[in-house]
Formats: sequence, structure tokens, C-alpha cells
Amino acid sequence: MKYEVIIGLEIHIETKTKTKMFSSSSSLFDAPANTNVNVVDMAFPGTLPTVNKKAVKNAIMLAHALNMNIDEELHFDRKNYFYSDLPKGYQITQQRRPIGSDGYLDIFVNDTKKRIRIERIHMEEDTAKQIHLADITLIDYNRAGLPLVELVTEPDLRSGEEAMAFVEAVREIVTFLEISDGKMEEGSLRCDVNISLRPIGALKFGNKVEIKNMNSISNIGKAIEMEIMRQSALLDKGAKVESQTRRYDDSLKDTVVMRQKDEAVDYRYIPEGNILPIALSKDFIKETIVAMKELPSAKRERYFAKFKLNAHEVNILLQDKELTHYFDEAAANVSNYKMLINWIIGEFSSYLNKEGKNAKSVSLSPQNTAKLINLIDNGTISNSQARELFTHIIDTNEDPETKAKALNLVQVSDTDFILDVINEVINENLSVIDDIKAGKDRAMGFLVGQVMKKTKGKVNPALASKLMKQEIDKR
Amino acid sequence: MKYLGLTMTELHELYVAGKATPLDVINEVIAALEKDQNNILEKTMYEKARAAAASLTKVEEDNVLWGIPFLVKDNLTTKGVETTGSSNILNGFVPLCNAEVIEKLVAAKAIPVAKTTLDEFGMGGRGETGHKGTTYNPYGKERTRIVGGSSSGSASGVASGYVPFAVGSDTGDSIRKPASFAGLVGFKPTWGAISRFGLYAFMPTLDHVGFFTRSVGEARVLFEKTSGYDKKDATSMARTLQKEAGMATLKGKRIAVLEPLFALMKNKLLINEFNTLVEQLRQEGAVVDFVPFDKDILAAIFPTYFILSCAEASISTANLTGIGFGNKKDGESYEEIVANTRGQGFSSRIKHRLMLGQYALKKENRQKYYDRAQKARRLIVEAVDQVLASYDVIMLPAAPNHAPTVNKPSEPNSEIENNYMAIANFGGNPSLTLPFCLDEGLPIGINLTGKQFDDFNVLNIALKIEEITKLYNLHAGLKL
Repeated sequence: MKYEVIIGLEIHIETKTKTKMFSSSSSLFDAPANTNVNVVDMAFPGTLPTVNKKAVKNAIMLAHALNMNIDEELHFDRKNYFYSDLPKGYQITQQRRPIGSDGYLDIFVNDTKKRIRIERIHMEEDTAKQIHLADITLIDYNRAGLPLVELVTEPDLRSGEEAMAFVEAVREIVTFLEISDGKMEEGSLRCDVNISLRPIGALKFGNKVEIKNMNSISNIGKAIEMEIMRQSALLDKGAKVESQTRRYDDSLKDTVVMRQKDEAVDYRYIPEGNILPIALSKDFIKETIVAMKELPSAKRERYFAKFKLNAHEVNILLQDKELTHYFDEAAANVSNYKMLINWIIGEFSSYLNKEGKNAKSVSLSPQNTAKLINLIDNGTISNSQARELFTHIIDTNEDPETKAKALNLVQVSDTDFILDVINEVINENLSVIDDIKAGKDRAMGFLVGQVMKKTKGKVNPALASKLMKQEIDKR
Repeated sequence: MKYLGLTMTELHELYVAGKATPLDVINEVIAALEKDQNNILEKTMYEKARAAAASLTKVEEDNVLWGIPFLVKDNLTTKGVETTGSSNILNGFVPLCNAEVIEKLVAAKAIPVAKTTLDEFGMGGRGETGHKGTTYNPYGKERTRIVGGSSSGSASGVASGYVPFAVGSDTGDSIRKPASFAGLVGFKPTWGAISRFGLYAFMPTLDHVGFFTRSVGEARVLFEKTSGYDKKDATSMARTLQKEAGMATLKGKRIAVLEPLFALMKNKLLINEFNTLVEQLRQEGAVVDFVPFDKDILAAIFPTYFILSCAEASISTANLTGIGFGNKKDGESYEEIVANTRGQGFSSRIKHRLMLGQYALKKENRQKYYDRAQKARRLIVEAVDQVLASYDVIMLPAAPNHAPTVNKPSEPNSEIENNYMAIANFGGNPSLTLPFCLDEGLPIGINLTGKQFDDFNVLNIALKIEEITKLYNLHAGLKL
């Protein structure tokens, strides 16, 4: 390609709090329309905003996770424009002094690390939600005033893949820090893409197009891909790329124009006079940071270093915060981490997927999962017995050891008994012995399999294998 | 007419002595309000007031607000009672909660009786721009003089003697100027001392809640009862103010008169009376100095106030679209609804101000107007603070003259002396106007402005001046 793709992102993150950014009404998601609303959210005359401390803490945590400078004084401004979803006629935001500035986030694309600079994060409030029907627009004020953090990157991204990796990394951070649900499909994480192309080697940026309305990370990739094609085609023809706001249309799988950007909107920002600057003490910032949940990057490091997991295993675990918590709790009680991770991303995860559950909602405790792993690890039960035992205790959380005994799911390690069975099998398959002696090792597995079959899988397979070899050698 | 024209203290004494009940008083107040000719009323609350009065049977001897009727400027919300800000755009708007100041007064068993007229949303200084038209001054020939604004109905009502006090608001001088024209004490405490929750916003960092009373002592009582932190107002004061130990005294008090401002006064009687007062204060042991002050700073006060207040008013009123509440006018689109609601709801004078405000904020203009005005505000505050660093208060006539007649514009080139009191809004200083002299039977007030959070000092100095002027419990019903 002869063009360099320049991408910057603006990500809006709805952060988790009990109440709204500037009012005391509940910020619970999914409540019936217009039930989480008070006079402040409706911007009734005479009402005043008060700052939500938890929302500030959430923003501090994110700023810290993104390696940013944290402003020790909170300043708010009014961004002024009329729209039917904006009750006050202005939005309270942080224009002059964002809470976080000059940060970065490292992303990995094809195992290559790239550092993406982040210009700022600032706190603001959400607008009301509009539902446009045929001849009427309904307004749900539940969303009006929910706390948002807006993150603005520098134009450091160069492809759809990088943009997707960045959004995924941000999503991972906010969910692991438990400061947001990070769900694009529910709108708790929203991403606008600014994209322009320029001939490789050119210094001047091309005209910028803003793409909105992507409700999944993969759609971000698709939208960027389509937009690169559209802009390249225009440039190839020698045509001009218009500065526009476009919208990704999921059914067309393409971007469509929303409006031309003739000139930047004049938002006439002024300081928010109803909130004086608030000094954040060093202690408050420090305490907030100390109390932060473990960042995904730190978790990764720990999984590699302490548990010796491989990249594949770590990536699977990190996709699900609850699964990592489950793993961490179970790991505290086992010594064979390899066996545990195989179980967690194998048997355990497939059960969760099949049942549509998550690691938090499952009855079986991580401690009992650890016991189950230890029973396999010390040879008390076999893998297949473990799988059977699992189906019995997953919903009841019964003690694995007790339940295994009750179900008679215990491996037989009685050498005399095993030897009897082995000799029985050898006698029934004398021709196979000749094959083995002739060097066909695979026949060995067949014989052990016969032993397992006769004992209904209760025999320790490693032990059976060892004894079988001895007996054949004697013949 | 046994109870009209009495102060809070006098009414309280009657209650304690069992010589009157709140219901007796309320009934008389209502009867008087019904005959009012000065156009002071917005919505009345007579039935609620009667019910509240009837429920008060056991007098609280240590609560001077018990059973005291009062009036409320109609830009302070009253639960269940229409509150319009004297603007058609909020006709029919019934708030869901009381303004915090009303909540506190009602909790102290004072009784709100009616909402009063104002210049539309407080934007005006003459009491002529509300949707009910001009509010008149009870002083002078009937219905000939303005009472000033924007707290016009509250000022006129207290000056008429209907009630002992009224709640007002002050963004430029909206309590202290009408107090001067109506012979009242008008007090605007330090910004943040009284919660602004429930006050219709004009310019948040200039807006104050305050009171009209007929004595300084009663302004003090109301201040003590209503000030303090309110979790609903993030700018409300968290500290406890220092009260002066012992009796108020003028001994050692330092009073500054801004010389170039006083030099602008032309009313001979006012000048003479003022100079006499200065001598009396000095005799009482106060230091009174005529101090220099930068004339450019004085000249900057009104333009700075006007630019900032119009600019911020254009944003403070952006919630009035008719969409979530208010006097909605329909249209085909939301743009049309907003345009129709605002187009028909605001008076042309307000639109004029809002347009000027938008103009001052536009990208190509803001450096020249809004940003420069913000800088000028800081310079003005610094200049005032510099004087107050070595003085307890700045003292000046609250207005260059008595109340003008209706429709007569103020004297040409009198912008500075007519509008200087906004300095106390710029800095959030406690500022109080009290009756000072009578010119042809028409009152003129004097203004004291003190240091931020030094409210009690200002009140105490005012108390001593009141003792000198003896203009206590002045009202239009008195034979002057």
C-alpha cells in the first residue's frame, strides 16, 4: 500500500459507581425507563451538581494504569450545546485540566510490542438515552448523568489490528480493575475512530474522518478496513477525502456518512461555577492506587513467572477475569499448576461454556477444585474418574475425596490384583506378544487398554503399563 | 392593623406573652397582601400559610422565627408551589423541593406566605422586567417610583410592613440596591455561607441568597439560622464563622471610604449626611479613612459584570428548553420545540442579554470579551482585597440617590456609582445595606462590604451605625 494509515481513538468508558457522576440517583444498569432520575438529572432550575468520589477514584485508577500524570486538583468545565438528550443544555466535563494526561499503553500485535501514547483521560457525564420511534422520540433519563471517563489517544495507531488490540487492552484493564463493565454491546465502552491516510513519507496529515457507532471490537476492525479502502480509492483517483463524521452500519458492513464537518463546533467552554476546584491530597491518590485490583499486565507476569504457564494458557485465562480469580484461588492449594491450568481451561471451561455459567456463579469452590486436582496428582483417581467425579460435585460442592469414596471412584494400585488381570489379558492375546517382541510398540497400548477395560478404568494406568512391560519381558 | 409593621422581635414578644397567635398574624398579613397595589406578588401560598400557622400552638420562647410570616423571591424553589422566576418560560412549573434556605426557615417554623416578583430571572436592576410588569416602591407618591431590582417584590413587601422579612437573591446588587431604595436592611453574606440549592442560577459564582429585614439584628438572626454547609451545594461553606466576643463596638474598627467613588456622589444632602456620619464614627473610636482607589478599576466594574453575567446567564438558562419541564411550546422537531419555547417564553430584554452573552463567548470574540472580563474580575477582587487587608469594611452610599421614578432612566454617566456594589459579588464578600438618610421622605441606604467570612464583623459594625442613625424598623406605613 502506498498510504500510511493514521488512527487515533476516543473511548468513552462508563465507570461503575452506586450513584451518578453529579447526583445521588442510582446508576444501576437496566432499571425501568426514567426510574433512576432526580431533579438534578432533569436539570430542574435551582439544582446543583455534587461530585461523586467513587467516580473520581475510578478515574485515578485508570490514569495510574495508563501511566499518566494525575492532576492533583479537580477542575470541571461546561461544554455548551443544545440537544434533546442533554438536560442542562451543557455537559459538565474537564476541558482545561483533565484528571490524567500524557500516558501510554503497550499493546501486542503479532507478538510485537508497540507503545501507544495517550493524550488525556477526563471525567464527564453521560447524556440521556433517546429512543426514536416513527413519529415520536422518547427520552430515558436513567442514563443522564452516569459517570464517564473519556480517553483520547495520540494518533499513534497504524492499522485496524492495532486499534482492536488497543481497545481490547483498555477493556481488559477496566474490567480487571472493576471500574467498568467494559461491554461495547451494552454501551458501557464506546469507541470513536479518527482516521486519515497520507502518502507514505508525507509529513502533512490527510483530512480526518470520524467513525462512530461500532458496538463490538471486531466491528472496529471491519470499519477501519472499509474506511481504508474507501479513502485509498479516493486518493488513488486524485479525489479529496472530505472531513466527515461517518457511522458504521452493521448490516451494510460499511461506513456511511452522518454529517460533514465544515468547521469545528464552538462549544464555548466555561469553568463550572457550581463546583470549585477540589484539591486531591497525595494520601487520597496513594490510597486509591494502593487499593487497586491487580492489573492484567501484572497478572500476566505473575502467571508466567510463578506458575510457568505458557502464552496460550495465559491468553485464555485473561479473557475472563472471573476465571483468573478462580484459578488464583485454586492455585493457592495445589502444587501441580500444569495439571490445574489444563483442567481449568479444559474440563472446567467447557462445562461453563456449555451451561452458560461463569466461574463466579458456579457452586464448586476453587478449594474443592484444588482437592480434585490433588486427587489426580497423587494417583488416587484417574483423569476419567476425575471427569465423572466432577459431574457429581459441580453443583453440590461436596468434598471431592468423600464423594470419590462414596462413588467407589478410587484407582486400584494393588499389584497382585493388577498382575492377575495382566496375565489374563496376555494369555488371551498371545499373538500380540509376538508383535511386541517384533518391535511393534503400539500393541502395548492395546494390551493396557484391555486391562483398563476389564477393571472398568479403576486401575492406575501408569502402574498397569509398568507391570505389563515386566510381565511381557518375562515371557 | 395590629400586627403589620412589627419586627420579628416584636411579634415574638406578642406570641410569648400570649397576646397574639401566628394565625391572627397570618390572617392580617394575607388581608394586607390582598390589597397590595405595588404589584409584588407572584404565586400566593395563603392556604398553606394558614394551615401552618394553625398548627403552631405551643410558642417556642427561644426561637424568634416561630410563627413569623415571610415572603420569598420567586427565583427560589418552593415545594408544590409554582416558581416562575417571573418568566413566562416557567409558567406552571411546580418544583419538587424547597430551596435549602426555605427548608431551614420552615424547619424553624417561620411561615412563607407568598412568592414575590423580580426582574426576569434576576436579570435587571429596576424591577421592571418581570412577566408581571413593574413592581412599585411603597415610598413616595403611589405607584410612581421603582423599588429597584431584581428582588423587587421582596423589597417592596417588607418596606410596606406586610412581613418582617423576605428572602432575596443578589448577583450584582439585587438585594442591596432595592434595600437602599426601600429603606431596608439588605444583607448578602459571604458566597457559600447560605446554600444556593433551589436558587435559579444566573451566574453561579456571583449568585447569593440573602435577606431584607427592617433591622440589622434581624439580618443577623436570619444569617445564623440559615448559613452552614449543605451537602446539596458543593460550594457551600464548611467552616464555622468567627463571632466577635462580647458586645459590638466601633472602637478600633477601621473603615475605608473609596475616595474616587465617593467623589462621584452629587446629592448634597447625601454628601453632608455621609460626612456627618464619618465624624460620628470617629467620635465612637472608629478610624475612617478616605482611601485612593484605581479609577480604571472602578470603570471596569460594570462592563465586567455585564459581560460575565450575560455570558454565564446564556448558559445557566440553557436548561430551559421545554423538553424535560417548563412551559413547552410544541414544534415539529426538537429544534423547533426549543426555539418556540425559548422564543415565546423569554421576554425580549432577556433575549437581548442572552444574545450579548453568546456573542461574548463566541470563539472569535471570547478573548476580547469573556476572557478579558474574567481577568478584570480578578484585578477588581485584588484591588478590593488590598483595601480590606488593612480595613474592616469599605463604606459608601449604596446608591447616589433615592429611588427614581418609573420609566425614568438613571442619570447619564452614573454607571460607576450606580453599579459598584458588584465588587462584593466578584469577591464573594459579605455586604450589607442599611437605611442611612431620607431625602424628601425617600430613603437612601449606606453599604458596608467586608472581608470574606468576616460576616459577623460587618453585621456588628452595621449594628453600631444603626444605633447612630436610629433608622430602625423603617417602613412606608410610618409617618416620615
